[in-house]
Amino acid sequence: MKLPIHPRSIAFRLIVAVLAVELASAVLVVVLSYGYERHSHFRSFDVMLHGRVDSILGAVQDADDHPQDDVMLVQSDLHVPPDDIYQVYAANGRLLGRSANWQGLAPDFSAPPRGLYSRMIVNGRHYRVLLFNASRIIDVAEPGGGKLRQFTILYGAPTEYVWRAINGAVKFYAVGSLLLLLVTGPLIAWLLHRGLLPLRQLAALASNVSVDSWQFSPPASARLTPELAPLTQAIESVLSRLEASFLQQRAFVSDAAHELKTAVAVIKSSLQLLGVKRRTAEEYKAGLERCLADSLRLEEIVAKMLTLARLESAASSPCTPSISEIAECLRLTFTELQTVATLRQVLLVAGALPAEECTVPLTAEDCRLLLSNLLLNALQHSPPASKIEVRLTRSSDAVELVIEDHGEGIDPQVLPHVFDRFYRGDPSRTRATGGTGLGLAIARAIVERAGGAIVLASQPGEGTTATVRLPLASEDSSSLPKSPSA
Amino acid sequence: MRVLLVEDEVRLADNLAAALREGPGFAVDWAEDGQVGYECARNRVYDLIVLDLMLPKLDGLSVLRRLRGRQDPTPVLILTAKDGADSIIQLLNAGADDYLAKPFDLGELIARAKALIRRGKGAAHPTLTAGTLEVNTLEQTVRRDGIPVELSPTEYRILEYLVHRPRVIVSKRELLEHLYDYNWEHHSNVIEAHVSNLRKKLDQAVVKTDGELPDASAETAGVIETMRGRGYRLAPELEAEHSR
Repeated sequence: MKLPIHPRSIAFRLIVAVLAVELASAVLVVVLSYGYERHSHFRSFDVMLHGRVDSILGAVQDADDHPQDDVMLVQSDLHVPPDDIYQVYAANGRLLGRSANWQGLAPDFSAPPRGLYSRMIVNGRHYRVLLFNASRIIDVAEPGGGKLRQFTILYGAPTEYVWRAINGAVKFYAVGSLLLLLVTGPLIAWLLHRGLLPLRQLAALASNVSVDSWQFSPPASARLTPELAPLTQAIESVLSRLEASFLQQRAFVSDAAHELKTAVAVIKSSLQLLGVKRRTAEEYKAGLERCLADSLRLEEIVAKMLTLARLESAASSPCTPSISEIAECLRLTFTELQTVATLRQVLLVAGALPAEECTVPLTAEDCRLLLSNLLLNALQHSPPASKIEVRLTRSSDAVELVIEDHGEGIDPQVLPHVFDRFYRGDPSRTRATGGTGLGLAIARAIVERAGGAIVLASQPGEGTTATVRLPLASEDSSSLPKSPSA
Repeated sequence: MRVLLVEDEVRLADNLAAALREGPGFAVDWAEDGQVGYECARNRVYDLIVLDLMLPKLDGLSVLRRLRGRQDPTPVLILTAKDGADSIIQLLNAGADDYLAKPFDLGELIARAKALIRRGKGAAHPTLTAGTLEVNTLEQTVRRDGIPVELSPTEYRILEYLVHRPRVIVSKRELLEHLYDYNWEHHSNVIEAHVSNLRKKLDQAVVKTDGELPDASAETAGVIETMRGRGYRLAPELEAEHSR
């Protein structure tokens, strides 16, 4: 089973990253300093060895009084550290001299003539040893220009002091780096904590926002900080959109509650009114009919609210591609509403329908709901003996439907609100004609779902024109059944 | 009593007006929006205003604030579909006398309307007494010296109004304004006829008990006094004991 990975905090990750980099550089510094210290210390060590060899060389002198030999090592003049070891051999293999603390080493004359370093352990101590082949001309004053004498000097000094110095230096660097690491860890943590303070303040401000208080006023510094500005803007825009949609929802719920409660109050009062006093059978019958009519109105409101809810919830989810032929829907709706029109003595006139098919991305049901809502709205606002003209035109990619009535028109102040849910421009008129205040809201929801647009233009006293623009259904979906299910 | 009903839902207004007319026998005027409602209320002829909150043109709260801003003391009963204590507190603080949440009980509405009118006239109990006269506003019955007096609805309403207005000369015009809604054709001689009948019936009740014709003096001189050219009032001897 795989455990979920808990992401660490950004501060923690940053601290760990910085410390890791610091640790790596500390290791690098230690390694480099070790190399450098070793190199430089041994260089000076070698220079020193050469110097010592030179002083040994200086101690090799003519030995006139010596029968066999002509050179000798004058050790009494020699001042070398007591720990050092040396030996000097003549070319003929004769030992000229040796330090007291050493048994010596057999001379090896096959070695390269000058400057050879080697390591040696003498008396349990590490030595660095220089093998030096030197030569000296003796008896310069004699005829013949003197004699060349060759000899080999072996000089060694213990290396433990050098190593101690190298180790000391490296230890200093290592300990220094480690201390730095220990100090910078908490320091970085503290700095990060301080540096992230504006972010926490922003979060605290954002967490204060609730459905009752949408107040979000970030400090000016948050808006100006490059890292915080996008976040601040995002929070602000999300909040303002949420607030708008929340207020809209709340207004809708409140309006819906008002409508429903009022409708229930009507039914309840109609029933109770019958019991206020004794009535005749005819009065009871009339009262019951009124109650039934009131119930039907409540039913209508509920049905329309559900329709609107369905349309709006479907708008957010991908709907199945559905198309319908709007001209066909228009014909059917016309037939349906003819009775209402005759009753209200209004003439329904349809202009010439386009010759081509006008398929729109709507279900046949919604298409007819849209048409009947718009036509009913026009009918409700048309005085007797007036006419309603309907025109349908088709362009290359869209259909335009125009419904023009010659009613009393809409007040310019009211016009922007006509699509609002439960909005009724003139309640005495629309209530008397049975409007629920949802018809145009439903029409707009349908049009917007299909990706179209709806506009209402009105001239008070002359009439209202509703213009609906719907995109034509795309070609690939036109293979689907297109005749409305009547 | 005359009631102003401000309600935009036609069917509800119909029912409420019918109930207030048929039940307690009030005269009811109906306004369908806040603007008209406020204009009507400015006449100050109402004994109660029943006000819906959500109204077109001018909402109920604004109507209420304007009325109270004009020092109008008429009792106001609010009809609201809004829930929540805040809304109710706001309403009462704005000067509302009572409220009912929709959907309400019609009987409760009538009872509250009566109580508000009673309170508005300074009476606490639904049974009003003035001397030997006893008016039961719930049963709409009248007794004099314990003897029931049969009155027509209009006669009863005139008496009830007069009993509610102690020490005051009530003009015919005022009676007309408070007993009839504005659909009624106003004729002051209609009032005169009703008052005349009312006085006769009330006096006859005393005759029945005493078995003799009333004297021109004393309290039997007539319960309702006619102040010539000014109006009517309950006989001062009676109204002296107006309240219990």
